[in-house]
Amino acid sequence: MLSLSIAARFLRKSPAQSILIAAGIAVGIGVQVFLGSLITSLQTSLVDQTIGNSPQLIVQATTAGASLDYTAGLQLAMKNESQITTVVPTRSFSAIFKKGADSAPLQLIGGQLTQLDTIYDISGHLTSGTAQLGAAEVMVGKDFAEANALKAGDIAAFVLPDGKPAKLTVSGIFDFGSAAANSTTAFVDGAYAAGVLGLGADQYTAVDAQVSNVFDSKTVAESLRAQPALSGLKVTEWQAANADLLSALKSQSSSSYMIQFFVLIAVALGIASTLAISAVQKTRQIGILKAMGMKDRESGRIFLWQAAILGVSGAAVGVGGGLVLIALFTFAGRNSTSLFPIHPQVGFVVISFVVGVLVAMVSSLIPSRRTSKLDPIEVIQGG
Amino acid sequence: MADVLLHAEDLGKTYGAVAKTVALTAVSFDLQGGEFASIIGQSGSGKSTLLNLIGLLDTPTTGRVVLNGHDTAAASRKQRATLRNDFIGFVFQFHYLLPEFSVLENVLMPGRIAGVSVADLRPRAEEVLALLGLEGLEGKGANDLSGGQKQRVAIARALMNRPALLLADEPTGNLDTVNTKAVYELFRKLNRELGTAFMIVTHDRSVAQQTDRILEVQDGRLLQDVRNSYIEAGPAAEAEPERGPAAGDVVPDEEPALEPETSSVEPPPSV
Ligand SMILES: Nc1ncnc2c1ncn2[C@@H]1O[C@H](COP(=O)(O)OP(=O)(O)OP(=O)(O)O)[C@@H](O)[C@H]1O
Ligand SMILES: [Mg+2]
Repeated sequence: MLSLSIAARFLRKSPAQSILIAAGIAVGIGVQVFLGSLITSLQTSLVDQTIGNSPQLIVQATTAGASLDYTAGLQLAMKNESQITTVVPTRSFSAIFKKGADSAPLQLIGGQLTQLDTIYDISGHLTSGTAQLGAAEVMVGKDFAEANALKAGDIAAFVLPDGKPAKLTVSGIFDFGSAAANSTTAFVDGAYAAGVLGLGADQYTAVDAQVSNVFDSKTVAESLRAQPALSGLKVTEWQAANADLLSALKSQSSSSYMIQFFVLIAVALGIASTLAISAVQKTRQIGILKAMGMKDRESGRIFLWQAAILGVSGAAVGVGGGLVLIALFTFAGRNSTSLFPIHPQVGFVVISFVVGVLVAMVSSLIPSRRTSKLDPIEVIQGG
Repeated sequence: MADVLLHAEDLGKTYGAVAKTVALTAVSFDLQGGEFASIIGQSGSGKSTLLNLIGLLDTPTTGRVVLNGHDTAAASRKQRATLRNDFIGFVFQFHYLLPEFSVLENVLMPGRIAGVSVADLRPRAEEVLALLGLEGLEGKGANDLSGGQKQRVAIARALMNRPALLLADEPTGNLDTVNTKAVYELFRKLNRELGTAFMIVTHDRSVAQQTDRILEVQDGRLLQDVRNSYIEAGPAAEAEPERGPAAGDVVPDEEPALEPETSSVEPPPSV
């Protein structure tokens, strides 16, 4: 390819200009990779904090407060959804905590600790006491414990839904990282909850589930609703209840796309103007090449090749730089709990690279069109 | 007409759309393969315009150029580019070397444009470099040469694809007398040894006298088209009588100087 070797030579003979353009592309793509990965990781972290330790999908009886039978058919239907990773049947009720004149409402979720852990990971978030749920034990959240001066081992008094009093020992205190979850949710033993609610062995108030990709919860819910085993049951998923969060994520994404878009536009304009200048500088060379018989198309390709070379090298450096930034950011935040880790997405990095090369190529269209239109006589006559 | 390399017919060129400049009017002539011709005339008379038209660098406003049997009147830019690459070598007053490339790379360029690999072109490039006494300069940058050397590289490059026709527009305009003489001697040698036809634009009558045929242009018209006497019989001369008075080609018997009576060239009758 003659146009390629001429392009490479032109670039090599004006190193400052070439490095400038490649650096422009590198900065653009570096920002792209870093910002894109940052936003994605931020969102993953936000979503994780919001719903990571809670059911993303809940199957309940249609009438509020009614129980459902956890039948073999229902179990099978849930198991057959390949996206569902965890299924935990629970028995929940609300109770009122009493201490002297003070009282506080609390949602008690009953289940087997090992099973509950698969969704809520209570054991993993334990801050004091032991992770266990005996018959008359309760695990409460950090904020609830602090507000009511409870320590592990204390006995807490409750008024149950049917008005009867109950005393439960605080076995452990957990911290889900959210004040709301920490102060309104508590866990009790499943069998104990069955007793409080008057439920049989296969009767539950809800079946909680998690899905592998949280944003697929809608389609999984749709599919479950269509199952005969779930007729008469209600399937809710987290997105319906978190419209605010979702719209916040969406607007965050779109503002990030805007920034990335304008960065790319700026890069494209930079490349286009620099290449246009270079094309003007090479007018004489192009003219004489054409006088010697180079075809218009081949001459136009010189600048396309230049853009491709600059695009590939600039984008490669940009991707590398972006990844280094990510590594630095992650390194800086390794001991911090408020910072979240950034995970570079392979797909996104590849897309950024391709976009970088494409932007460079598109920016070269004007100079390469001008080059292919150049008439050799203009150069020969101009001397 | 078997040996007609270039047939120029009623060539006219008007520059500009609004302010029109008539640079060339009704120029017709034939050039045989291997001819050694010059174009002379005063500054602004249309010499370069004519050369650019027959070199397919520019398109005529009227008339047509037939190069080696290819009628270029309706040729596309691409076809004209291919014809230039195949048949024509150019040497201008300015050398137009590519400063980004070495001497050797510059010389290789027409061959590479033709799509031939560097390896296959190498022997030919070395041949023309040797022919022009440029051995040892292959690796030098095109800018690191003297004026005379640059012009010789430009000539070497023009010869690369073994053109049937070499067009030169004031090729020694930037050279001193020694180099000028050397270039014309070289042209003559190339013409004799390789059979390359030459059309050399010059305003120097003494240079023109050295060529076998002189086309004189005045105010855009072909004032006269004469042969210097010392070409005897050749394919070029043989072909002439058939063409009749239209081209006005006359072969003077003895005189190398231009004969006044051969000087008027009428526009050719429309055929
Ligand atoms: N691109 C152009 N636009 C307008 N007029 C032009 C153009 N090129 C040439 N001309 C005019 O055409 C006429 C012939 O020009 P040309 O360059 O052919 O002359 P020339 O014989 O080569 O002169 P010189 O010896 O000075 O090189 C001149 O009057 C010139 O001004
Ligand atoms: Mg001229």
